[in-house]
Amino acid sequence: MEISTNDYRVWTEGSTIHYEGTMRLSGTDAYAPILEIMNSILSSKPEIITLDLTGLEFLNSSGINLLAKFTIEIRKQPEVGVRVLGSKSIPWQSKSLRNLQRLHPALELTIS
Amino acid sequence: MSLANVNADTPEKHEPERIGRLSRHSFRAKFILVVSAAVLFDLMLAGGVAIWNVQRLSKDATEKVALGLTTATEEYLRTYIDTTALRTELLLDQVFSEVEALGASMQTLIDNPRTGAEIGQTVETDPVLGDKLVFNQAADWSQNEPGESVVSVWGYLLDDQGNPLPAVEKQIADSSAFNLVAPGMMKTGSPKLQMYYVGPKDMPIMRTTPYTDQAQTFDRLYPGHNEENFWDFFFPGVYESWQSWIGNPANRPVPRDIVGTAPYIDAITGAKIVSFFFPLWTEDRTDVAGMTAVDITLDQLSSLVENVKIADTGFGFLASSSGNVLAVSDAGAQVLGLVSVGGEGQGVTGINRFLAQSEFPAVAKLELPHNEGTVIDTLNLATRADGGDEDYTVILKELAPINLWDGEKIVSENLTLGFMVSNDEIYASLTAVQQELTEATQRIINWQIVVLLVSLMIVTLAVYAISGRITKGLSQLADAARALQNKDYSVRVAMTTRDEVAAVGRAFNRMAEEISYHTENLENLVEERTKRLETANREIVDLNKRLKSENVRLGAELDVAKRIQEMVLPRLSELENIPQIEIAAFMEPADEVGGDYYDVLFDGDHIKVGIGDVTGHGLESGVLMLMVQSVARALQEKGDRDPVAFLDVLNRAVYKNITRTKSDKHLTLAFVDYENGKVTLSGQHEEVLIIRANGETERIDTMDLGFPVGLEADISPFVATLDLDFGPEDVLILHTDGITEAENDTGEMFGLDRLSDSAHENRSKSAKGIAEAVINDVKSHIGDYKVFDDITLVVLKHR
Repeated sequence: MEISTNDYRVWTEGSTIHYEGTMRLSGTDAYAPILEIMNSILSSKPEIITLDLTGLEFLNSSGINLLAKFTIEIRKQPEVGVRVLGSKSIPWQSKSLRNLQRLHPALELTIS
Repeated sequence: MSLANVNADTPEKHEPERIGRLSRHSFRAKFILVVSAAVLFDLMLAGGVAIWNVQRLSKDATEKVALGLTTATEEYLRTYIDTTALRTELLLDQVFSEVEALGASMQTLIDNPRTGAEIGQTVETDPVLGDKLVFNQAADWSQNEPGESVVSVWGYLLDDQGNPLPAVEKQIADSSAFNLVAPGMMKTGSPKLQMYYVGPKDMPIMRTTPYTDQAQTFDRLYPGHNEENFWDFFFPGVYESWQSWIGNPANRPVPRDIVGTAPYIDAITGAKIVSFFFPLWTEDRTDVAGMTAVDITLDQLSSLVENVKIADTGFGFLASSSGNVLAVSDAGAQVLGLVSVGGEGQGVTGINRFLAQSEFPAVAKLELPHNEGTVIDTLNLATRADGGDEDYTVILKELAPINLWDGEKIVSENLTLGFMVSNDEIYASLTAVQQELTEATQRIINWQIVVLLVSLMIVTLAVYAISGRITKGLSQLADAARALQNKDYSVRVAMTTRDEVAAVGRAFNRMAEEISYHTENLENLVEERTKRLETANREIVDLNKRLKSENVRLGAELDVAKRIQEMVLPRLSELENIPQIEIAAFMEPADEVGGDYYDVLFDGDHIKVGIGDVTGHGLESGVLMLMVQSVARALQEKGDRDPVAFLDVLNRAVYKNITRTKSDKHLTLAFVDYENGKVTLSGQHEEVLIIRANGETERIDTMDLGFPVGLEADISPFVATLDLDFGPEDVLILHTDGITEAENDTGEMFGLDRLSDSAHENRSKSAKGIAEAVINDVKSHIGDYKVFDDITLVVLKHR
């Protein structure tokens, strides 16, 4: 599955979801197609879902809300593990991704 | 009053012009015209060049043939005249040598007087050869009886009895050897009229062979000659000329002793003759001793000249240097237009036929060559019977010079041999060739013209036939178009070819079909379309109405939300009344309704400044922001001073409302509490900047001071506080990410560093001044680029 625009690209490889580019979508409704991809991975109940954010330069607050809500959803399913990959060189990631771990302490956060 | 005649313009019925198949405007006529013109041009050009070349070839050939023939003819004439001249000179030479031989014999007798006298005595006593003189008393001369030769002794050489004077007697005897030699020479060699001997001036007896009635003839023809000296009577000047030669032989005009006479009528024979004299000298060579001579008829020379045969009527002539024609045939004389004139005042009768007196001016003007070899000229003579003129080629050659007695003295004379021939005759073959060439050329030209006309005819016929096929499609199209113009939409064009015209025809057929279809169904279509349009129009009007009301409603809602949001923001007067801390704030939503939150809560001694950012913007975010404001105000009013409990309660209230409204939103939220030179930070939000009075800048990360509000039911485990000193002139900056994430047109964000630098540079200003300066920097960074997010800045400066 893949969503691709001039600004960003979201695609899955197995249970890994890759994010790339600049995501500045206007609200929850605009993020719905991406949430759909993420939920479809979750519904397949994989052992671990990996969110690879290392290529995502920018994510607005609505996007962060999306990640938080999804983390809460995963938290409701203890049998599904989650791993988030971030990059130190992207400022918003080191700031905001820690909140995801706070929401779901079992979340495996790697900021390299 | 007059009535004006008003002519109403009657509209003419539009009738399309019909073009005849071969009218001058038809495509076919133009096509035929163009192709025929091209072919005609081509044929004319090719034909013209061919004709020109043939004519040039003919002209060249004629010129070449003419040149060749002229050269050959002239060469022939030159050779012929050279040969004839040689023959003439040979004839003269032969005659000369015979008279010289006779003269030499007589000179031998003079040079040996004793032997001469003895031979004379012997001859005189010879019964056959001896001179038996008989005195003619009546005529007073003495002459011998008929024999081999005749000797005449004139009266002034005789005594009273008619006997020769003694010296004359001796002269007769001494010269009687003539009888021995001359008759034999006369009978041999070249034809001669007579040979004779004349004694010296004091004894001019005359001996002649063959025998004639010499004295009698003289008496008849030349009365009085018997009383005068022979030499002075007949040949005046000759004797004296010879005498002048003795002292200086160079006096001879021509270095030869022979002297000729002009032609004259012979007294004895009546023939036209020429005489050649050979002088005899005394033994001591001091005086002239008489002469020997020969007469030849001019016929001999004439026969040479007259025998000249050039073409049919070409002839030869011999002329003296004075232009007197000595020999010519009668026909030739006629062609030359000569007139015979009798000689006057001469010892003998001459004949004069001078070229200068010719009836033809061209001949009269003819100049004889003098030491110039052979001359060729062309004369135009009016010789034709009908008065027409004719060209003649005349060729002249000067013969070797001879001594000539001109009646008074001896001069040098050059005879000139001339040939004359009609150009029409000698160039008859050339004329024939030219005629044939001209005829051949004309034949070629005629054939060429015939071929040209036939070609043009064939091409025109072929073009006419082909043009019909080529233009058939166009004609059909034109007819069909005319029918269409007359509203006959059923017309169709039958196309048999596969060319462009056929393509146009097929397109025409399709168009005609469409026109036909549309014309026939136009009313139905219009009705149908009108109905559909009416329905659509009604739908559009309905939709428009609904859209309008919806728009009005939405706009009203947004206006209300925006006004409520603005209403709850702290008033400027409120902020100015706060002691100790100067507070300035700036807030600008990206849409009508923003999602940013800030508030200043002051209850007399405690200052609480809040800043937050709801995810997204628009009405829902704005309402959530209002909720936060209201709960914060309520908690402040309740007097809850614990920042942790404050945030926890606020989160619970908001979370429950979010859950109820099934909203997906949450917000970051932080508070700054000021009291007695100290600030307490709580809640998770953007980094807080403190610029100290001494210029140092502190950046405080708030990530560990809280958690997003509205995301979890209980965030108390994550909320913490941080106490910081905040003294006089210290500046504290709060902002939302709309400032740090503001982008310029290259995508570069404003960033925390620029915010920090801007605040630092302007730290000495009032809080309001710092806020304005920072916002100015942010605005100039964005420039004309898009504003993505709500922008909020709160500046606190310690008084």
